[in-house]
Amino acid sequence: MDFTLKPVFLLTIVLLYVAINVNAVRTKDKMYENIDASKACFRRLNATHQIGCTSKRGGSTGVIHYCRSQSDLDFILKNGTAPPYVPVIPTNLFTTSNVNRLKQSSKISGVLLYAGDENPDYFTHEQQCPNPESSLKGTCKASNVWNPHGTGLLYQDIPFPVFFVESEETIKFAKECFDKYNNHSFSTQRDRSLCSLQLTSFMYAATNSSTCIRRSNMITNLNPVKFCDPLGDNNAWASLFPLVRGPNLTEPIRDVGYIVVAARMDATSMFDKTEGAISPVTGLVALLATAKYLKTILPTDENFTKNVLFVVFNGETYDYIGSQRFVYELLKGNFPTKSKEFLPEIRMDDIDLFIELSQLNKTETVVAHYLSGTKLKDFLLKLRTNKGDLSFDEAEDSLPPASVHTFLKNRTNLPSLVLADHRGPFLNPFYNSVYDNASNLHYKYLNLTKDDISQSDNIQTHVQKVATMLAKSLYLEITAKSYQGPEDVADLQFIDELFHCYLENANCRVHQAIQKLELNTQPISLYIGVEVAPNFITTLIGLTLGWVTGDVTGPGNRNCTNEPKNYALRYYNMSRSLDDLNTTMCYRITMNFTEAVSPAFIIDGYDWSSGQYSTWTESIWGDIKLRVFLKPSAAHENMTIAVGSMVFILALLLVYFVKSRAHILFAPQLPTLAPTSC
Amino acid sequence: MDLSKVPNERKLYLCRWYFRAGLALLPFIWTVNAIWFFNEAFRKPEYAEQKQIRKYVVYSGIGSLIWAVIIITWVTIFQINRTNWGEFADNISFIIPTGSP
Repeated sequence: MDFTLKPVFLLTIVLLYVAINVNAVRTKDKMYENIDASKACFRRLNATHQIGCTSKRGGSTGVIHYCRSQSDLDFILKNGTAPPYVPVIPTNLFTTSNVNRLKQSSKISGVLLYAGDENPDYFTHEQQCPNPESSLKGTCKASNVWNPHGTGLLYQDIPFPVFFVESEETIKFAKECFDKYNNHSFSTQRDRSLCSLQLTSFMYAATNSSTCIRRSNMITNLNPVKFCDPLGDNNAWASLFPLVRGPNLTEPIRDVGYIVVAARMDATSMFDKTEGAISPVTGLVALLATAKYLKTILPTDENFTKNVLFVVFNGETYDYIGSQRFVYELLKGNFPTKSKEFLPEIRMDDIDLFIELSQLNKTETVVAHYLSGTKLKDFLLKLRTNKGDLSFDEAEDSLPPASVHTFLKNRTNLPSLVLADHRGPFLNPFYNSVYDNASNLHYKYLNLTKDDISQSDNIQTHVQKVATMLAKSLYLEITAKSYQGPEDVADLQFIDELFHCYLENANCRVHQAIQKLELNTQPISLYIGVEVAPNFITTLIGLTLGWVTGDVTGPGNRNCTNEPKNYALRYYNMSRSLDDLNTTMCYRITMNFTEAVSPAFIIDGYDWSSGQYSTWTESIWGDIKLRVFLKPSAAHENMTIAVGSMVFILALLLVYFVKSRAHILFAPQLPTLAPTSC
Repeated sequence: MDLSKVPNERKLYLCRWYFRAGLALLPFIWTVNAIWFFNEAFRKPEYAEQKQIRKYVVYSGIGSLIWAVIIITWVTIFQINRTNWGEFADNISFIIPTGSP
């Protein structure tokens, strides 16, 4: 070997060795332990207020204090010596009085919530009168509120971050860290290293919707910042019969009345996770089951004077966003489309009857709420006739929060009723919270095949009864005859599957039947979200509604297209049935989506203070994260800054000294000799 | 630029031009001028151009002081009232801070 290459060779070996054996771990990764699976509370705004939580810019930090009970929390608020603290509390301690105390205490910089050993008795942070500004006045009396356990915390401005942690390991990790470093000799906590949390959920928007929308639209520099987005998504609607007739289905049917069957599809929660089993899934499933059963027993239009519109509203939790926009378009004559050429214009006065399916958990009775003075006697009688073994009752002059409020505000005599599982206050103790899940509904997936029947009395059979009652009554209303055919009840398998789809597994058979995508097995969030990010669940619900109200035109193939283009219809290849997913049929459906964005955001120069429409927006945020680290003691921190400052000052002195003595330290430059040749 | 290597008339020329440039609502140029030529104006042994340089340094210094007062007053007024002024304040802002009213 050429000996000059030897050092190069050796160096290569050393470098390789270093490269293989040394993993660069960044300091921050050594310091922090990231925690996943946490759901933050974030900020929303309306015309007058900001609500929700925010951290400081760059995150709020505090010392962990793990609480099992109220006394643990009281202890740290009173005796904590090393503030700020982040109490880690079980959900049942998250009450109005505790939150108010935490807000007033200067020792708190954030809160972490975990699901305790057992579910709380109630957990709902919605207001006691949901949507107070946009509901009809006098429908929620102070003596008899709809949501008696509602804390209204969802609508409070909380100045510190609050996270909900789902994973038990995370809480165990935090607890172990707390036990090891923090959980002893509290009076000397200041003098030692403490296990701490950093909660980052800094919200960009502030003040109110008009301010943040105005700031978002302003371009004063080259890097415009967005502060907030309006809440919004889509409503879905479908009709029982096509809105057109004639040989080519091109002639709009104009002179018919419509029965609107409505339900909401959105839920909300304090945290970035919704469940929504009782509200809205029970009502939504009942609507879809009614639609399917009614289409089965009444498949074709025999020149009836009535049609049925099934409408699923979105964003109803936030001051009826979906229905407000729907009514706005209805009054402007823009429903179903702006153009009157291909489809009939449906006006407010064309609605003969409005039926809303609200929360429909399995309780003793199904109650029809309605305002007196509307012509409903006939239809209520029909419901009674068809109720089967369901216990059915009426509540006159009572109207729980529902989309129908928006309609009644614009047409006071609209015959309308709301079917719900409660006569007085909600029986759902977890309205709009993370606990309104399948177990709140006592739902168990039965995995039925067609024509299976369930022996036991469960939520599925209950919803089946409601759907059967409603569909048979609608049949009677439309045809003026009682149904005498062979299909006696609504499809139980379909109902069972739908609950499974919305509460347990989005990749369920219904969703496989209506579209081709392989979905995630997690349930999809029902929170409306912002208008710029459409929710796929809305599309799925719309397609399901289309599937059950559509007409089969033949076997499914590539000829199943809308040729020549008919604006009144859509054509889809969808599975024949839930048991036969692989056989597709061509469905001709009358289904569409309408925008569910509050009119406040589309009216030019809308008066924000008028309170006429929903004004909810959601703040933009940069980063939402949670991490654990070991915070040095105060003495240690002071030492670090002192040493750093001293080094800095010494360096300045040294440089000054060297510079002032430069002529001694460095030999003066010799003057260069003049060139000799000149 | 090392002023010690510059001839005196060049110093005067520079100082005069810095002063004139500052008249175009550029107070920081005055500030620079005042600091940069302070030694030349007050601490060097006397030379022919020094009197004039001194004049420009004093004018620049006074000018930048007045500007400083104006700017500090305005910034204080603006920061105190930004929230109350609402839309007007947003319109005259170049950067709007995130997360504040």
